Parts: sequence; C-alpha cells; structure tokens
Amino acid sequence: MNLSFVGYFLLKGLEISAPIAFAALGGVFSERAGVVNIALEGIMGVTSLTLVWGAIAFQSIWMGLIAAVVTGMLMGMVHAVVTVTFKVDHVVSGVAINVFGIGLSRFLCQSMFGAETQSKINPYLFPKLLGINSVAFWLVPVVALCMFALYRTVFGLRLRSVGENPEAADTLGVNVNLLKYVGVVLSGALCGLASATLFADKWITGMVAGRGFIALAAVIFGRWDPLGAVLASLLFGYADTFRIVFESKIPIPSQFVQMFPYVLALVVLAGLAGRSRAPSADGKPFLKGEE
Amino acid sequence: MSDFLLEMRDITKHFPGVTANDRVSIDLRPGEVHALVGENGAGKTTLMKILYGLNRPDAGSIWVRGERISIRGPRDAIRRGIGMVHQHFMLLQPFTVLENIILGEESHTAGVLALAAQRKRIADLMRENRLVVDIDSRVEELSVGVQQRVEILKILFRGATILIFDEPTAVLTPQEVDELFRTLREITRQGKGIIFISHKLDEVLSIADRITVIRQGRVVQTMDRAGATKQRIAELMVGKPVLLEVDRPVVQRGSAVLAVRDLRVRTARNPSAVGGVSFDVHAGEIYGIAGVEGNGQSELVRAIAEGAEVESGEILLEGGNITRWPVRRRRDGGIAHIPEDRQKYGLLLAFSLAQNLALGRHHKPPFSTRLATINFRAIRESAREIIKRFDIRTPSEETPAHALSGGNQQKAVVARELSGGPKLLLASQPTRGVDIGATEFIHRQLMQARSEGKAVLLISADLDELIALSDRIGVMYKGKIIKEFTHDTAVREAVGLAMTGEASDVAV
Amino acid sequence: MSRSKGRFGRFAVLEQAAPFIGFLASVVVLVVIVIVMQESPLKAFAAIFKFTLSTSAKLAAVVSISIPYFLSGLSIAVAFRAGVFNIGNEGQYFVGGLVGAMAGIYLPLPPAIHIPVVVLASMAGGALWALVPAVLKATRGIHEVISTIMFNNIGIALVNYLVNGPLSGMKKGVSLEPQTKKILASAVFGKLNGFFRSIGWNVPNYVYLDYSLVVALVMGVVVWFLLFRTRRGFEIRAVGASIDVSRYAGIRVKRVQVGAFLLSGAIAGLIGLQEIFAIRGFYTYSIASGLGFDGIAISLIGKNSPIGVVFASVLFAFLKQGGYGLQLSTKVPNSVTYAIQGLMILFIVVINEVMIRFVRNLRKKEALR
Repeated sequence: MNLSFVGYFLLKGLEISAPIAFAALGGVFSERAGVVNIALEGIMGVTSLTLVWGAIAFQSIWMGLIAAVVTGMLMGMVHAVVTVTFKVDHVVSGVAINVFGIGLSRFLCQSMFGAETQSKINPYLFPKLLGINSVAFWLVPVVALCMFALYRTVFGLRLRSVGENPEAADTLGVNVNLLKYVGVVLSGALCGLASATLFADKWITGMVAGRGFIALAAVIFGRWDPLGAVLASLLFGYADTFRIVFESKIPIPSQFVQMFPYVLALVVLAGLAGRSRAPSADGKPFLKGEE
Repeated sequence: MSDFLLEMRDITKHFPGVTANDRVSIDLRPGEVHALVGENGAGKTTLMKILYGLNRPDAGSIWVRGERISIRGPRDAIRRGIGMVHQHFMLLQPFTVLENIILGEESHTAGVLALAAQRKRIADLMRENRLVVDIDSRVEELSVGVQQRVEILKILFRGATILIFDEPTAVLTPQEVDELFRTLREITRQGKGIIFISHKLDEVLSIADRITVIRQGRVVQTMDRAGATKQRIAELMVGKPVLLEVDRPVVQRGSAVLAVRDLRVRTARNPSAVGGVSFDVHAGEIYGIAGVEGNGQSELVRAIAEGAEVESGEILLEGGNITRWPVRRRRDGGIAHIPEDRQKYGLLLAFSLAQNLALGRHHKPPFSTRLATINFRAIRESAREIIKRFDIRTPSEETPAHALSGGNQQKAVVARELSGGPKLLLASQPTRGVDIGATEFIHRQLMQARSEGKAVLLISADLDELIALSDRIGVMYKGKIIKEFTHDTAVREAVGLAMTGEASDVAV
Repeated sequence: MSRSKGRFGRFAVLEQAAPFIGFLASVVVLVVIVIVMQESPLKAFAAIFKFTLSTSAKLAAVVSISIPYFLSGLSIAVAFRAGVFNIGNEGQYFVGGLVGAMAGIYLPLPPAIHIPVVVLASMAGGALWALVPAVLKATRGIHEVISTIMFNNIGIALVNYLVNGPLSGMKKGVSLEPQTKKILASAVFGKLNGFFRSIGWNVPNYVYLDYSLVVALVMGVVVWFLLFRTRRGFEIRAVGASIDVSRYAGIRVKRVQVGAFLLSGAIAGLIGLQEIFAIRGFYTYSIASGLGFDGIAISLIGKNSPIGVVFASVLFAFLKQGGYGLQLSTKVPNSVTYAIQGLMILFIVVINEVMIRFVRNLRKKEALR
C-alpha cells in the first residue's frame, strides 16, 4: 500500500461520494423544513439529463450545470406545490414525482436526442482537479455554507422552526409556507449539483442507480444535520469505492459485490432505528387556523 | 384619546354551520385584568384568535387606544402590542429559550444572527417582571410552569401591552398558579392590560377586575368583580339554573373489579411516569383520578387499557392477572375505554358511523361470521339501534364520522364503549371539548353504568366533574397516588391542595 | 333519519371523480404537446385509436398488455391500503418469477397441478422477497420505502448471479441472452384464444390472452373480497386509516401490516407470470423491467381499489399501445406517454386531495343542518 495509491483512493472516494452527499444536503434542507422528499432519485434522473443536454446545446459544461440546477429547482417546485399547497401526503407525492421523473426523462431524451434510453455523448466536461471531477471539491465549501446557513442565520433558524412546530412559527409571524417552498426547491437545486458530480459525459436511463435513496439513508444516519449527512454519505461512498477498487481481487461473484452499498445502507439503518430523531413536524401538513 | 386600551366592537364570525361570534363587544382598560368566561365552544377562543390575527372577522371593528386598526395576521397584532399566551404552548421544544423568544424578531447583520443586544434586553425584561429563566437551556428540559414563563417573555419581548391568556392554568399546580397571578399583577401594575380566558370560576374571581360571560357566540353580560359570584356566573354561562350536584342514587358497592398493584410505568421521557401505584375500583363505583395533567394519569390509563410501557407491577381484572394481555384480550375480557382524544384514538374519521360503532368488537359475532367475513347488515342494524338509544345526531348511520359534531362524536364513542356490556369502563376526559347538552348526557350515562354495577375509572381535569360524580377520588402527583378521598370528604380546597403534592409523606 | 347515503350517495360521485378529472387534464396536456410538435390533435387521436381500438385484435393486445400492469397495481393497492409503501414490487417480481420458474423447470407434475403450483411458487418467491423489509419495519421501525428499494437492487443482482451461474440453461450458439432451462410443458401457460374465438371475439394467435388472465381475474376478486368483505380486510383498511385508533381498538397493527406487506409481495411475484410462462417459456432477467414502478402509478390512479386498478391498468396498456401508434403515424415520440402517465398521477393525487377536503366541508355543512 503506497502513498500514491492511498491518495488515489481518497480522491476517487470523494468523487464517488459527492453525488450522494449533495443530494443528502438537499434532503436535509427539505426535511428540516418539514417536507419529506423521497423524490431525490427521480429529480436527479432528470437533472443529469438536462446537464448533458445543456452542455451540448450551449457547448459549455457550465451551461449544463445551470440547466441541471434550474431543472432541479423546477421539479422541487412541483413537489412543493403538491405537498405544501395541496397537502398531498409527502411520500405519495415523492413516489409520484419519481415515476413522473422516469417518464419525463425518457420523453425528453427521445425529444432531445432521438433515443429513449441514452443521450448523445457530451464532450464538454468539468475541468479535472487532481485527477477527479473538480466539482466534487465544491462539497467542502458547500457543506460549510449549509451548516452556517442552517445554524447561524435568520433563514436557518426560521426554516428549522417550520419543520419543528409550524403552528408556533406561524403565530410569531414566520411565513411557514414560503420557507417550506424554499427548503424543497433548495433540495431540487442541490440534486442538480449532485448530478454534476455523477457522469457528465452521457445520460443513460437508470444511471442514478439508487443513489437518491442512499442519500435518504445518509440523511437519517446523519441525524438531519448537514455535516452528519455528508459524513454518512462519505461512508457509503467510500464503501462503494472500496468495492470498485478491490472488486477483481475479491473471490466473491461480482453480483454480490455489487449489492454491497445497498446492504450496507440497510445494515446501517437497522442498527440505528429508533435512536435518531426527525424534525417533529416532518411529513405533516400545515393547516392554518381557519381550516 | 380613549380611556380604553382595547375595544372590540360588534365582532361577528361565521363558520360552516355555526356562528362562532355574534356581534360581540368587549373592552379592556389599562392596568386591568378582564376575564372572559364561557363554556367550551362558546366562542372565546375564536374571538381571541381574531384579535391575534389568526382569524379574520366577518364584521365588526377593533380599536387600540382609540385608533381603529385592521389585523391581517399575527405580525400586525404583534406590531400593535397584542400578545397571546396560548393554551397549548407554542414552543419549539429542542430550541433554546433565547431562540424561542426571538424567533420572528431576530436581530441580524445581513441575515446572520447577532443576538448579543437581544440577550441583554431579555435579561432586563426578566428582572423587571420577576420572571427568571435560564436563557440558554432547551425548552424541553424545563417544567411546564417555567415553559409558560417563556411564553410570557415572548410577548413582553415584543412590547405587548395587551396580553391574552388562554386557559393558562389548565396545566399548572396551584403553587404555579399563585406565581402566575403574582406575575399578572406585576404586569398590570405597569399599566398593561390582560384578557384572561378561563372556565375555572374560582381563579377568575381571584384575579379578575371585570368579567364578561359569553354564551353561544354572544356576550351575555359584563360585570365588575364586586358583587360577582360563582353561582351567578355559572348560570349566565349555561343559560339556566345550574345543578352543581348530580343525582346520586345509593348503589351497593360490589367486589373489586379492577385491582392495580404497585404498577410502574416507564416512558422514553419519564422513567417514573407511574411510580408504584396501587388502588381498587369496585363494581357499582366510580373512582376518580384527580391531578394536574402530566402527573401520570394518561400513562396509567394506557397501562390499564393497553398494557403500554409497563415496567413492573400487576393489573388484575376480577382477580385474574391481565398485566401482559394484549389489547384485544382486555376488551374481550370486559374492559372498555373512552380515550382522551377521540379524533386521534377513538374514531376512524373516514369510516362510517356504523362501522365505528362496531369497532373493537368487529371481530366477534354478530359483526363477524365464522368464516371471518364481516356482516355489514348486522353492523348497520346495531348502529341504528345505538344511535336511537343514545340520541346521536347524524343524517344517517352511513355518514362518515368526521362529519359529526364534536359532541356527537364523543357520544358515539361513549355509546360504543357502553354497548359492549363492559365490566370496567375507563373514561379519560370524557367531556373534554363537548357542549353542555352532550356533557350532561355523558354524565348521566356514567351514573347509569354505576347503577348497573359496572366499575368506572374516571380521569378528568375538571375537578367539579370529578367531585360530583366520584364515589372515591385518588389524587395523582408525580406518578403516585398520594391521597384518597371519599365522596363526603372530597371538598374542592382539600383535593386541590393534595394536587399540589401536599399530604404526601412519601419522598418525591 | 334520511335514506342511507352509503356508497351511492351524491357525495360519492365527487369523491371518485379525481381519476377522471386527472385523466382529462392529462389529455389536455397531450393535446398541447401534440400541437407544440406541430401535429394536428385530430391526427394524433386517430393514430391512437387506430392502434388500440380499431380492430378486435388490437383491443385484445391492449387487454393482454394490461395483465401484468393489473397484477402490479393490485400488489401495491393491497399494501397502500394498510399504509405500507411497498416500492419493492420490482425486486419481488424478479425473484418471485425465478422461484416460480424453478418450480416449473424442476418439478415434474401433471399439468392440472403443475400450473397452480407454479403460481403459488411465484407468490411464495415474491412474499419471501418482501419478508425482510416487512420484518425490519415491524421490529426496527425502518421505513419501508428505503428498505424495499435497497432490496430491489439486491434482488436484481441476486437473480443476475443465479441465472448466469447455478441456474443457467444456456445453450451455446442458440440462446441469445442469459436464461434458465426451459420450463416443462406441463407448466407452460396455454392460450385462451380459442375460447375467445368461440364466443365471437376474434383474437389472433400472436396476442397473448393466456392463463395469466385467469390468474389476474382470480387475484382481483380475491383481493376485493378480502379487503371489503372479510374481517382481515377491514382491519387492513383500519390500520391504513389510523394506526393509533386501530391499536386502541385491539387490532394487532404490526401483524396486519406484515400480513399486508407479504400479500403485496406475493401478488407482485405474479407480475412476470405472463412473460415467463406464456411468452418466453424460460426465465431471464431481461424480462420487462419497470413494471413495478408502473404498478405504483397504476394504484395511485386507481385510488388503491381493485376496481380502480382494473381501469387504471387498462388505461396504461391503452396509453402504451397508443404511444406506438403516435410514433408510427406522427412526429410525436412514443415516450410522450410515459411523461403523460407521470403527469396524470400528479394531477390525480392533487385533485383527489382537493376533492376530499371539499367533500368533507360539504358533509360537515349537511350534518349540521
């Protein structure tokens, strides 16, 4: 085990953890505002498509990034409208958006690229830094920003209050619905950022491969705290990296090795259940006084 | 410039099917405590919600210090110096006292919290009003009385000069009530005005300068403290001479149906929620449990009804040990339970009234056949009979339960629990949130059950109800029964005193 | 007391209206998309009609396609009724199908017995794959959305390994994809086309109206009867409505949820029946995927009731075929139907919620008169 290999492993792990970590940060904001968002997977599926499209169409990967973030925000907006304004059950809405996302991405792909299940190749990629996608490094300032925003700003305090006790926040004049919207749209935007660290060279149906759900497990494991969720994501990401790097050397059939991240997520959740505490009003519709 | 701090003139508010406020007028002078009394559903809370901006009136006007104002939301109310301490605290439990107080009024630089100046202001406020709380402690660590202080600080912090208190003493021990009243007098000494909503007439007479009685959405009378009596107020509240005594036929008490032996219940929040309770309830007897909410009554009932979170001890039904029995077995064995929150625990709101009336016995004949299918016709027939017998107002037995009024929903729950022919009836807050007609009806049903030889365990936050109905009363304090009274010795003052923990020679 | 309102009172119409309104809203969106793509809506509708309803053969194709959709939607409906979000029916049908195929390949039995055995084996396989998430939910309180999704991925990897490895029936040069051995003739699902022809419906031989249709209908009736006529079904619906009230009433909530979860998995195990036993005759993990998620959409559109699922599954099949029609005759790609399906669900869940609150208010006003 030499130093350059360790370095490679650390960097590769960061790159692989990044999509989960950004998505998990999105999940944290949404849930802290009291909205359960299981549509991270579906949103990421669409944003990774628009990332590729935007890059090709405007011949710049940065335009692709903007397209991805905007798409994520729009889809987040849909979830927000359905759950906050129409008060549909959060899990039902999340499931519906996941299904919608699958359909939408196939339709968009066929409209944009002529084929239903994969896009054209995108030659415009993010610059690399130390051999990996440089956007992965954005994780560090972004998580610091998230921690600061959530715990040291007026916005963060109010957001957390809305997820904890929206009735109380409402009586103090806090705009509950607006903050819920912001939390959910922010989670969509972060999904857009997450897809930037996935595979920017081509979109293939199913490429998100459950990372959106692993991100949810990371949110729970990280106790709904931005730093905690990112650390949990790193755990999952590095475990997956371990699998990839050592796959050929492991005497177990490859399919079982592929199961590893999913089994790990289950084991982690099974070990924790009941001990962590979601925001008290997570998943509950907010009904103002007159209703 | 008017003499009055606040005037609400001809306030009218309609909800579907009911007029909550009908041309209500009320005013408040500086330095005054003005009590607003009325039955549940009379319209007091609606009126105050209008004042605080949580509801909008259909007609009428609000005047603060002679100036007409419009209140579109809590922010407007706060800006005008109106503050409300709610009956159910509006606090963020895991947040600190500081955070709870400043939420919505945070001082900041460019969005970043900068709270040093506000800390100082709060410290000053605490000193001025003699309300001391540790500003950095988390609210969930504080006792109920202290949490209320946080609520008061919240509104003082925002410069409230008109303070509304909605049933503030419901969750306090008598000692804490005294402290609260001291605080209220301190506040009025500074020239502020207080509106005090309560249906506890003793407290109202002790603190109020003026009293306004509201009944069915209208103001019945506004009177000065001088010359006001409990009897007079109660009659105005109800609209007819009030029988403060319930008809009590002499009933022969039978053997013990329920025996609780050294029961200990441990919950996640409280390791000694019930810390060693022993008592009996006999056939033909109503045993009341008195105590301020939060002293273990709910946990005790849940342990008897469901076996929830029992750590040790025994529960015996007619001599048989049922401590480990699952809920269904307890019900089949003759235990009926009127839960304290009918909507959360007692009724499937989306299901029909008929199905709700069969719930809990749906697995037995005649509702369930030998082939494990449901006999819906039997359910409907049984429901029709029950609806008639208990006079439940509903368009049909197929009406979904959520469409019924609160009083009829509670009647339905009571009817269901009694129609199974139980041996033991557990009644938790059976008349909470129920109009006077239904309350009287439920009281009669409970007395009827007693006459029929059933054992009734009655938990109620309404001391008058308990004293009127119970043969014996056990007072619960911090998870233990510290004193028992018989019907003859159960006097309001004595029971109230026991509720504070006095009379205990057990180390608490 | 006035006449019984029951299921057929005037409010019932409003309560059931959401799927129809949602469907109409989606049609509007489809028309808009068609126009944006510079096609005539009339031409689009004609193309859809031609491909789905114009001949009895086409109609039969729609019915045939709706069979796996129906089973998928049914499996989800059962779970949703109990408040269980079983998103794992995807994994459950891959595993269930394999177990059923094993029974079909390695158990020599006379046809009359073999086919029911194969059906039961598929159900057992599906239920088995739902077992761990169900137990994790009951004992550790782990939310089933995450655990079942994880199990989907694990299941597909497992099946992949088994079919490539110990259960492989590949013949060099003949088989085009990883597959098991052939299913014994006694277990192959026969076609019912002859029967339909005899009653006047001209179904050509390339359309599969086979025994799986019977299985689907039987399961539909069984589930309907279970949910609305039995005590267990009543308890399932009660638990789905309120866990607190159910517990209070003595219902064993965990038992009911686990039972519904396993039943859901069992029905999900049947989703692949048609493709494995009628169409292909062997098992491969490249059987149609995505049917699990479609089932979720179908159940939501069908308001989680067996009858609603019938309509919703036929609708989905209709849309799928219609999409091909669109693609063949117009510039509109067939994947537009996927987008429309997704949109339809969103419309329907929103309108449903609005309707429920609206009707609640109406009922309240009426009860107070």
